[in-house]
Amino acid sequence: MRLKVNGRQVEAKEGTLLLDLVEVPTLCHHHHTETKGLCRLCLVEVNGRLLPACATQAQEGMEVRTDTEDLKALRRTLLEWLALSTDLSQAPALLELLEAHQGQPQRWGSLPVTRREREPIRDNPFFLRDYAKCVNCRRCVDACGDGIMGVYALTLEDRGLLAHPTTPLDRPLPGTPCVFCGNCVQVCPTGALRPLSMEV
Amino acid sequence: MEKPSLLPLLDARLPLTEEGVAEAARLAGVPLAQAWGVVRYYPRYRGLPQGRLLVDDPVARARGFARLLEGADGTHPPLGLEALSPIHVRIEGRERYVEHQGHRVPFQEFRLPFHLGRGERLLPPEPILDLEAYRRRGGLEGLKGLLEGRLSPVGLIQAVEEAGLLGRGGAAFPTHIKMRAVAQGAPPKYLVVNADESEPGNFKDRFLLEHHPYLVLEGALLAALATGASRVFLYVRDEFEAAIQGLEKAIAELKEAGRLPVPTEVFRSGGLYICGEETALLESMEGKRAEPRLKPPFPVEKGLWGRPTLVQNVETLANLPLILKEGPGTWRQKEPKLFSISGDVARPGLYELPLGTPLEDAVRMAGGEPGELRAVLLGGAAGVFTRELTFPLRYRERLPLGAGAIVAFGQGVDLWEVLLGLVEFFREESCGKCFPCPLGTAVQVEMVRRRERSKALVQDLAQTLKGSLCGLGQSAYWAYQSLLEVEGAA
Repeated sequence: MRLKVNGRQVEAKEGTLLLDLVEVPTLCHHHHTETKGLCRLCLVEVNGRLLPACATQAQEGMEVRTDTEDLKALRRTLLEWLALSTDLSQAPALLELLEAHQGQPQRWGSLPVTRREREPIRDNPFFLRDYAKCVNCRRCVDACGDGIMGVYALTLEDRGLLAHPTTPLDRPLPGTPCVFCGNCVQVCPTGALRPLSMEV
Repeated sequence: MEKPSLLPLLDARLPLTEEGVAEAARLAGVPLAQAWGVVRYYPRYRGLPQGRLLVDDPVARARGFARLLEGADGTHPPLGLEALSPIHVRIEGRERYVEHQGHRVPFQEFRLPFHLGRGERLLPPEPILDLEAYRRRGGLEGLKGLLEGRLSPVGLIQAVEEAGLLGRGGAAFPTHIKMRAVAQGAPPKYLVVNADESEPGNFKDRFLLEHHPYLVLEGALLAALATGASRVFLYVRDEFEAAIQGLEKAIAELKEAGRLPVPTEVFRSGGLYICGEETALLESMEGKRAEPRLKPPFPVEKGLWGRPTLVQNVETLANLPLILKEGPGTWRQKEPKLFSISGDVARPGLYELPLGTPLEDAVRMAGGEPGELRAVLLGGAAGVFTRELTFPLRYRERLPLGAGAIVAFGQGVDLWEVLLGLVEFFREESCGKCFPCPLGTAVQVEMVRRRERSKALVQDLAQTLKGSLCGLGQSAYWAYQSLLEVEGAA
């Protein structure tokens, strides 16, 4: 099967994810979780439409563009907004990406309410829940629930910019079905969930 | 397969306790985590704001919002009361009232005043609140024809295609394409009437539900029979209590009269703007947070409980009996559309006009002086400011009609104040599922506050919001961008 990526012919197997064929960043997608299409960093243009590469399969005759000026502006802006709203200090890969895209978060001014104000939650001996660093990619919620464990110790709180993971009834983790398997920590891309052993 | 939905189970346990949430989760057969995520999503489970609340709509924003706020304990999202704006609601415990001209009317009794509606085809000259009155006006004839075999399901879809009916919820998608897709799907299939109108400036569906419930129901039943749907759900905005009661009475009467061929019920919506997005709507019916799904698959293939589902707007369905009555050709010649007109016009209200009517004629009909306006907000929050008043009100033109809101603003109005209301609305209503929308709508509010006019910034804002998962984020910058154009043209 053949398709065009940025004008070049590419051979691919039917059903391959575009994400595996093209060079685009992603944040929410993880091969162990079902999360996809949320962060929009992997958006590409397919026959003129914006589609997430992590949730789109290659098809015969597709014309895919990954590098239009509009897509570059979108990725740069999104990274800037993340840096503006969230503490990315434990997410070196994202900071590198921001730099590679020549992001300047300060050009947007400031936000009166951000995620940064959240206090870390220390409710168990194993890991920290530091939602000031959480971008709400939901990998942890999925890993705990439908994706890997089927334990359902995590869910989501609130809407909009302040949406983030929480526990059922906002209980401390030891009071939930959590079995401390560590999968949520494994899949967290920003250090919002991190082992206490790494804390000094 | 179908399970008891979580939302009604939670509703029955208000005000919620931890035990109540746990019990609802158990009865719905879902993890406590899912139930808690739902409780922490919908405002009504978190506890309603209390006191006298100013309804925050574009008209109130144009009437000196800061001064109006002084007499209120807070704000309430738009309720389709723009023709009466500024208006207050009062919430005392679980009781909700509309405060209008010195009167306090409970939500379950408050209907939009009937004199606000002006039309002749979709909008009959009197409210039709019992079956006999509906029959006297020729109602149920289409349904009868279908039930008695004078019209086939295929023939009905054919008629909708010939009429060229486009969805009236805002997206203007050809109705027959969705109907045919569901008709071809394997049963069980469902029909969901999207009656969650929450767009600032729009009150057409609210009016139809409150004053013409039989028309809406006949349209829904026709669509259900045409597509082979085995159940009809009316997903009605929770605040439209009078409409919900009227619909339930009408459903009971139709059943009693043997004219309810498909089981039909009202589902109280989640009460948020995003609940009107068709996939978010389905999620909430399934007892989840009302968050949009990735498309494809589309609801016509995988909708409610994974089954083929036709989701249609109230006004769209209300047109089906009319298309049958008049014949698709006649209907098409003067395609009726409902326009909610409010703001600086002498007679705000709901107007039925043929598509193609120039915007200035619509404004004039409502008693506005086109020459004296600063701008018109066309289409609602997901709409645009324009000064182009010769513009023909038609789908697929340069400007979006949306669901048909027209808000007129006179010379004294500070349009940036109105815009601030709109962008705050988007920030509040963003579900937070994808990244561009919650971030972009929050950044946008600050940009509008400081009256940012940098083309580069607004361009990047627009480009990024365009990448949102659903229409809410994708359209959140239209009003902002259009106001800059209007300013540039002034």
